Amino acid sequence: MEGWLTASGEVFAAVQGWLFEHLLEPGLHLAGLDNWLELGFDGVEFVLVGLIEVLLLLLVLRPLEAWRPAERWSDRRGVGVDVAYTLLHRLGVVPLLFFLILQPLADLLDATLRLHGYVPFTLESVLPGLVDRPVLTFMAYLLLLDFAGYWQHRFQHRLEWWWALHALHHSQRRMSLWCDDRNHLIDDALGAAWFALLALLIGVPPGQFLALALCTRVLQSLAHANLRCSFGRWGNCLIVSPYFHRVHHGIGIGHQGDTQGCNFAVLFPVWDLIFGTLRLDVPLQPTGIDDQLRGRDYGAGFWDQQRLGMQRLFAALPWSDARKRA
Amino acid sequence: MYVNLIRCLSWWSGLRQRCLMPPAQNLCLIALLAGGPAVLTEAAHAEVAVVLNSGEGTISLVDKHTYTEVARTFVGREPHHLMSLPDNSALIVANSVSNDLVFLDPQTGAIKSRLANISDPYQIAFSPDHKWFAATSLRLDRVDLYAADGFKLVQRFSMPTTPSHLTFDHQGQVLFVTLQGSDELVAIDLNTRAVRWKIPVGKTPAGVVMTPDDKFLLVGIMGEDRVAVVDWRRGAVVQSVVTGKGAHNLLPMGDGLHFFVSNRVANTVSVLNARTLKVEDSFAVPGGPDCMELAADGKELWVTSRWLRQVSVIDLKTRRLSHVVRVGRSPHGIFFASHAPR
Repeated sequence: MEGWLTASGEVFAAVQGWLFEHLLEPGLHLAGLDNWLELGFDGVEFVLVGLIEVLLLLLVLRPLEAWRPAERWSDRRGVGVDVAYTLLHRLGVVPLLFFLILQPLADLLDATLRLHGYVPFTLESVLPGLVDRPVLTFMAYLLLLDFAGYWQHRFQHRLEWWWALHALHHSQRRMSLWCDDRNHLIDDALGAAWFALLALLIGVPPGQFLALALCTRVLQSLAHANLRCSFGRWGNCLIVSPYFHRVHHGIGIGHQGDTQGCNFAVLFPVWDLIFGTLRLDVPLQPTGIDDQLRGRDYGAGFWDQQRLGMQRLFAALPWSDARKRA
Repeated sequence: MYVNLIRCLSWWSGLRQRCLMPPAQNLCLIALLAGGPAVLTEAAHAEVAVVLNSGEGTISLVDKHTYTEVARTFVGREPHHLMSLPDNSALIVANSVSNDLVFLDPQTGAIKSRLANISDPYQIAFSPDHKWFAATSLRLDRVDLYAADGFKLVQRFSMPTTPSHLTFDHQGQVLFVTLQGSDELVAIDLNTRAVRWKIPVGKTPAGVVMTPDDKFLLVGIMGEDRVAVVDWRRGAVVQSVVTGKGAHNLLPMGDGLHFFVSNRVANTVSVLNARTLKVEDSFAVPGGPDCMELAADGKELWVTSRWLRQVSVIDLKTRRLSHVVRVGRSPHGIFFASHAPR
């Protein structure tokens, strides 16, 4: 196993280097973008990891869905657009867009803070024992980011205007492994900004960020899979399972009640346990939003969904006419 | 059960993206996790080359005689450049994202100490009179000037985008910094601590060195495949020498006359005569050659190949690649104690 992983790593590095040197680097140099060579090199890695991830979804999760589906569908209408969302995200199009917009802003803020004497700390500087223990550091960051992810998700359900965007994610009636990235672009941008600010505060390095993103994404795909699978009473409290997250997407339970839903955790349900939003006692429900049963349309295609999301957002803003009338 | 297996595999594949290393080095990692950097002292007893793997936050220690990586250890986040203290008692690694400097034993590479609160150090340099320590902050558009004795921050200069490489005049009166994003070279007067001049030098300037006679600066102009020759007293570009695509970094050859120039995109290293300002030779180095180190006997040039996770060793007699040393992700700075005079 060890040898196989090492060999795989070397093959991966060789492919990344070849692709960069033969496809991307000449173009960047020709365009006068030599400042972006390192970023381009990292970008090739991102795309390659995304490709591997999509292959894993197709080769492993998809057969599992076919074998033990949580729901049996007569057809797969509406799933195709989720595949498009997945490819746009995991092959780097959406992340690159947000990087280009957000990174200069984050750097400007960082530089301004430092000119006033503030140097952002890292976990290692607060906990010196982590300095030469990267796996522990990795775990600590994972836990912190997951905590931030939990509260981001709570706000997505709690704030009416944010829910107007996030509802797109919940509107899939045929929830499958492709559903994780089905988000409104502004919802994605808010999430990216949320984590960029956090990175500024606790110093999450780009290198580890990719690994964190990879773990999060694969687990999230699994959590969304149309898979009749629970990790058991204790397992469901440790790691988000397909059952755990399907409850979160269930009509009538996933976004109702005092907390506007339940089971908000991204990776570790311990946050739901601590903050009283854990529900492991309910049978699986059909997924979607209750107003869809009354005929509300969330759109079928990508642009349709984005447009309708914008309309819902404007209607939910405090100063909107629709809100005032209500 | 299947689901648990998937979870474990994805977890480890994610980790290994950052921690790719041969089995022997994994044992070293486990030892380091258990015992910390002291273990490294035991592992690293031969003369080693220290290589900074900027993309995974580690240093590789390479046995110079067997051309193999003998240890890899975590040093901090995004270590890009390193240099020795003026008295050669320690080697300084600048961790740009960790905001610290790590001091290594220059012979063994063992970690000796760590200095925190050095904001985003990318390239670092001491002035020839050992009075100043300067660090560029590539990401945050800043140059920081420290008193070399005690590393106390003296002044912080905001710069136009991406200050990158730096050097001093021989008297240590002026600090020169390339500004990759704004295509300029800036001169900072260390007496007045003010910008003396700032001039355009060409698209994406990178490496900058002073000629042995202290008359000219040589600047690698990545975007224009040439080295710009700058009369620093006049603040003017006086000549230009085409070397190869992506002319990036420069290293003195140790003879007081020649410089190596790494051409990142062309995958070559050129030999530039600083007196005639002619390219006298050029040879292939794979994988985006970046930083270089020259053996004291002048027989070997060690070059970090950023895109191939390797150090390429060039036999300077044949001008051919003689050894390849596998290291970590995105190897950048390289150093060994028995190097040719700078």
